[in-house]
Amino acid sequence: MRCRTRLFPAILIVSVLLAFSSAESADKFKLKPDARGKNCLNCHVMFKDKLNNPYIHTPVKTGDCTGCHNPHTAAHEKFLSAGIKDICLKCHTKLLPEKAVSTHKPVAEGECMKCHDPHSEKNKFNLKKPGNALCFECHKEMGDLVSKVKFKHSPVEKGCTNCHSPHASTASVKQLKDQVPGLCLKCHDAKKAVFQNMHMGYPVAGSQCTSCHNPHGSDQRGLLYNRVHSPFAKKMCKECHSQPSSPEPLKLQKTGFELCQKCHSPKINEFFSKNRVHWALLDKKGCLNCHNPHASNQEGLLKKPMMIICGQCHTDTVEKIKKAESKHPPVQEGNCTACHSPHSSDQLSLLGEASVIDVCGQCHDWKQHSMHPIGPKFTDKRNRNLTVTCLSCHRPHGTEYKRMMFFPNSTDTCTDCHEQLKR
Amino acid sequence: MSKILIRGFLLIAVFFFPLQSFAEEVIRFQQLLTIYADDAEKSLLRPEGLDCTSASLIVADTGNNRLLKFALADGTPKGASEIKVPELTQPIRVQVNSKGEILVLDGKKRRIVRLNPAGQFIGYLDPKGLPSGPDIVLRSFKLDRQDNIYILDVFSGRVLILNPEGEYQKEISFPEEYGFFSDLAVAPGGGIFLIDSVESRVFSAPEGSKSFSPITGRVKDIMSFPTGITVDGKGLIYVVDQNGGSIVIFRQDGSFQGRRLAMGWREGLLYYPTQMCVNNDGDAFIADRNNNRIPVFR
Repeated sequence: MRCRTRLFPAILIVSVLLAFSSAESADKFKLKPDARGKNCLNCHVMFKDKLNNPYIHTPVKTGDCTGCHNPHTAAHEKFLSAGIKDICLKCHTKLLPEKAVSTHKPVAEGECMKCHDPHSEKNKFNLKKPGNALCFECHKEMGDLVSKVKFKHSPVEKGCTNCHSPHASTASVKQLKDQVPGLCLKCHDAKKAVFQNMHMGYPVAGSQCTSCHNPHGSDQRGLLYNRVHSPFAKKMCKECHSQPSSPEPLKLQKTGFELCQKCHSPKINEFFSKNRVHWALLDKKGCLNCHNPHASNQEGLLKKPMMIICGQCHTDTVEKIKKAESKHPPVQEGNCTACHSPHSSDQLSLLGEASVIDVCGQCHDWKQHSMHPIGPKFTDKRNRNLTVTCLSCHRPHGTEYKRMMFFPNSTDTCTDCHEQLKR
Repeated sequence: MSKILIRGFLLIAVFFFPLQSFAEEVIRFQQLLTIYADDAEKSLLRPEGLDCTSASLIVADTGNNRLLKFALADGTPKGASEIKVPELTQPIRVQVNSKGEILVLDGKKRRIVRLNPAGQFIGYLDPKGLPSGPDIVLRSFKLDRQDNIYILDVFSGRVLILNPEGEYQKEISFPEEYGFFSDLAVAPGGGIFLIDSVESRVFSAPEGSKSFSPITGRVKDIMSFPTGITVDGKGLIYVVDQNGGSIVIFRQDGSFQGRRLAMGWREGLLYYPTQMCVNNDGDAFIADRNNNRIPVFR
């Protein structure tokens, strides 16, 4: 009863505001009292069917077509009185929080109608499709994964919005409603024996669950990512970590590459036999700079796709790649190891071959390329200590010019060496 | 009349003094010459490190697994002697101490090789008396004027300070947040500087300080992937931007003084340079790695 008495004034205020706002837009066009909405339906006959849908947008329900549309002229399509984002945000003011950590791309771009029908729909919130089907329209790969995986995560099946906020999140990345592990721990009680047993008694409640588990489902039991590091799969945690009962149970037994050397000694010795070792392998994180020691979706247990991993340090190169006019396929595919040996090499820039020409020759038949001589017999006219190679004219990560050339056109490229031909 | 003259002189002095002093401070990067080969005309190959004084220049000719020692006269090399010892497989950093001994960091073994002034192998300089165990990976090293050795240990995340005999004196841990440190420099006054290649940021630990703090922001717009740092006799910091093919200059308060040179293959341009050295005469030598040469600027 007390609740009802509080609710009544609220409903009254909302009704008055709605009536006032629709009256305001109607007044703008000096519409007759009974003309609101009805006038529009005289011509837009087909629209009447829309009104039979169970979920109708409030301004449509109240006949306030001019709340969004200008009946005479408009600078926006569909006679909208403003851009879609501005129109929607006029009423839905709290949709885009000021301090959003992450925002759904269509929301940020004002593409509200990608998900919602502005007039009416069969689904709640005027959504164009029910439940996850709507999300999987764009997130097709996720849809495939969720439908195919052997082990499913029940909140995903019930709806993406269990974990994700569809518009924006002030709490976390990827529009998650809370940060991991807090979000996961809302359902998974870390104090329960089953949870502790599954994690071998290690205090993982503060760890990043998604570094091992795929929250969307997996073919691996326990929703582990599909590629699982063998000692982890065998629950041999103590191979790398301290005892679960020790004061620092998650502490690693060794630092850097020394941790992995225990099992991967031949491999690491092979890396160290080369003249140049990737420095990242030699710092205090060592192999863990790039690899996930537990489980991953990436080949070689990489923490993330290769381009992202390499780009964590080589940001300048990745930026150049993004801006490149012509895209080199292996670079575009993020296949850095097509040319570079990521651990070590005897060659500069950790290239896989001694000669740049041989590196390029893995894919390109450079002998068929042109008549221009290249190779160790031909000195670069710009520098007596260089010979002509593919890199004399091309930059494999791309440039601002076509064909990954250093210069905007052939004339500039050729005359950089052949100065006598300059006109 | 004399008052007017005196005032005039004073004005001239006031206006010209700062220009004069600034001109003396910064290297103008006017190219003097370029070293392409030794006396036998054997070309340099991927030189990565160097050290210089007014009288000599020593180059780590990395691709040829050797050192080249040049006598200098007014910035001009006069004759090169080759130093090649079997213990040295991949020289990447080189320093000469006050006794003329040559210390070389071998990039493959990640150990410092000690050579006498004639270039003969004396032994390895392995740090002695480390309090926290021998977990160490050397990325770079420098000497101060007293021949103390400053080692950039990327494995344990610290700068080790050793006396000239290689005995542990103290260490300064890397800061909490950083990307990857590729080089260090020791200022004449004793301050230590680090260059963060990933974050494009300079850190410093002034003389007597126990920690490093950044003196610049993350300046990706002026440095792409810096790998070398040096401080000249007047305290100016020179950073070698490897991927940007240029030299970036800062004061010790972190203020940006300019960016010099550009990427390319012609004379006066750099292609993936790695190290720079400035001697007391203000001559600058650059290990222009991918151009296989050492350009000299003044």
